[in-house]
Amino acid sequence: MAYALVALGFVLALNASGAVNFAHGDLVVLGGAVAVLLASWLGLPGFLLMPLVALALAVAGVLAAHVAILPLARRPPEATFVATIALAAMIEQTLTVTMGASPRTTPPFLGSGAVTVGGVPIGLQPLAIVMVGAVLVAALWFLLERTQLGRRMRAVAADRHMARAVGIPVRRTVTLSLALSGALAGIAGFLLGHQFLVTPTQGAGHMLKAYIAVALGGWGSVPGALIGALAIGFFETFFSAEVGDAWASAALYIAVLLVLTLRPRGLFGEPIGQRA
Amino acid sequence: MAERLATLVGIYALLGLGYQIVFGQLRALNLAQGALFGVGAYATALTAPSLGPFALLVAPLAAAAVAALAAPPMLRLQSHYFALATLALASLINLVAVNAEDLTGGANGLVGFGMALPRGPTLTILVWLVLVATVAAYASIFKGETGEKARLLRDAPLVAASVGIDAALWRFTAFVIGGACAGLAGGFSAALTGVVSPEATGFSVMLLCLTAVVVGGARHPLGAVLGAAVAVLLPELFRGLQGSWLLAYAAATLAVVLWVPEGLAGLFTRRHALPIPLAVAPASGPRRLELDRVGKRFGGVEALRDVSFTVDRGEIVGLIGPNGSGKTTLLNTISGLESADSGTITLDRAHLEHLPAHAIARHGIGRTFQTPIEGETRGAGLARALATGAAFLLLDEPAAGMTDRERDLLAGQLRGLRRDRGIVLVDHDVELLTRVCDRLVCLDGGKVIASGSPAEVRADPKVRASFLGVPA
Repeated sequence: MAYALVALGFVLALNASGAVNFAHGDLVVLGGAVAVLLASWLGLPGFLLMPLVALALAVAGVLAAHVAILPLARRPPEATFVATIALAAMIEQTLTVTMGASPRTTPPFLGSGAVTVGGVPIGLQPLAIVMVGAVLVAALWFLLERTQLGRRMRAVAADRHMARAVGIPVRRTVTLSLALSGALAGIAGFLLGHQFLVTPTQGAGHMLKAYIAVALGGWGSVPGALIGALAIGFFETFFSAEVGDAWASAALYIAVLLVLTLRPRGLFGEPIGQRA
Repeated sequence: MAERLATLVGIYALLGLGYQIVFGQLRALNLAQGALFGVGAYATALTAPSLGPFALLVAPLAAAAVAALAAPPMLRLQSHYFALATLALASLINLVAVNAEDLTGGANGLVGFGMALPRGPTLTILVWLVLVATVAAYASIFKGETGEKARLLRDAPLVAASVGIDAALWRFTAFVIGGACAGLAGGFSAALTGVVSPEATGFSVMLLCLTAVVVGGARHPLGAVLGAAVAVLLPELFRGLQGSWLLAYAAATLAVVLWVPEGLAGLFTRRHALPIPLAVAPASGPRRLELDRVGKRFGGVEALRDVSFTVDRGEIVGLIGPNGSGKTTLLNTISGLESADSGTITLDRAHLEHLPAHAIARHGIGRTFQTPIEGETRGAGLARALATGAAFLLLDEPAAGMTDRERDLLAGQLRGLRRDRGIVLVDHDVELLTRVCDRLVCLDGGKVIASGSPAEVRADPKVRASFLGVPA
């Protein structure tokens, strides 16, 4: 479910800018790091900390938009790709310099205990991840499908020239999408950081998973990204248990290559159509 | 120390030069270049004990072999999917390096093979000789026509196909040759350090290669060399900054992307406009283009239904019909950008309906597109189609946006071209079509509803109802 949050933030940024935001994985790590920092300063419980982390990362998303995405809107998508790779390296290095390479852990959302449901113990944190994830996915769906703002965001994603022609403030909408994408990354980083710790070099891994989820689910499709992320989650859990981590990763990459070979536009096709 | 740095610059320059062919020239975001570097390093380390210095030759072969094996399914992928596929390939190679301990020594890597390979000044000289030769080859290959073709492929892939450029073949060649450069660089790097570990296949090598090429200049022959020099020498200069030099380097890369898109090498050169070849070879070859019951569906929509007509050399056939009647789809189907679902398209006896676009262009069909490439003048599309020596031309709205005077000029040009060519002309300007065309074909809803002389077609009640907006 946390993969889903990473992938959803990624797909929002992707749709807004029309290009891959390679720094998204590092925004997730940054979210974890901010959570660690704020927790040690303020000592707030997790559920109060989360909005602050989201806000901080929304600001980071806006900065990313102004530094590496908006100035390159008229250039080929590869320019944005390279610029965000550089941005990713900057975030990673800043974190390495400031917090060191040793892993940290973020505070839990509710508590680190477990509740027993029908005789089966369920950890509070995994439960919290699933619940927060579900609420956010629902909220995002509502925003995109049922509000004027969401319609604008989808219009910009579909065709930015047309969107501008009908009077949508494109730059502002892109910035807003990136803020939202950053907030989602921050929350994902905060939630993941309790179980899987926070280290500066995790960014590329998060990024790769989100990339795979979005490519498999159909480029730019929000529900597709969700399904893709959940599929990766199940796939990994299943294969790691059966054959170990290394083979699970290998199987995932081979599966990606196979899917791309057989369905060059992802499992569910591409909603946007060909960008000739 | 200085010698070691010089060798390192040479190695990364070679890696970057290979990358320029794929990323710079074809704008294909290949993220496996770093991993192919690692493949070369391992190949050299594994074969050095038995082959001695010749192990360096195994490196480019091994990397090229991996690239050639992996390439076919990836070639038809579009930009992001191509990047992802190459990233997955790179991750797989990295996994093998870490986990196949019997072969690669696992996380510890391979050591103790260095004695068999050239070292010291010999290695430095060897690396730079290879680099100079490769730079010279790159410069001469991409200077003239090949460079222009690569530009067209990069900026307008559909147009490139319409003049007979086989994009898949280009990409394959670039991917494999670029991979071979990476492999050779990896082999040299193994000789330099005497150690090969999974790090050689990791993403940091890829990152270094990408940033070096972007900073130096993605297409300029000296771009990779400049970028590699910056990437290797800057950290030496900023040793005092310790870990933060990487931060400075990343920031510098971002700055270059934003403000110097052509890279550092671009600062030293000006673009020269190439002269346009004026003499157009007289068209020869096929005499008749024939469509027989051509059909095309998009999902549930029948875009073309049983379309049949012929065009002979020396004839201009105008294609009219309301918006969405299938005119451009028909041109796309003839030129192979869309494949026909049914029916046949023949040029004399040769069947075209299942050929890819570039092959159809080579059979002698040239075409123009509605929207010109950015920065080109309006006549450029027609000039390009003519330059292929095509016997048949498919022109999509050549008069769009023209003034009356320009239309007169165009009409004159078309009559001149008709002497030894066959032309299919799509336009909304029925007056123009009536003036220059020998016959008109009217499409509606993907079907031919009338064909014949301009006067006949314009008088046809069905045409008047559907296209001219006059009730029958």
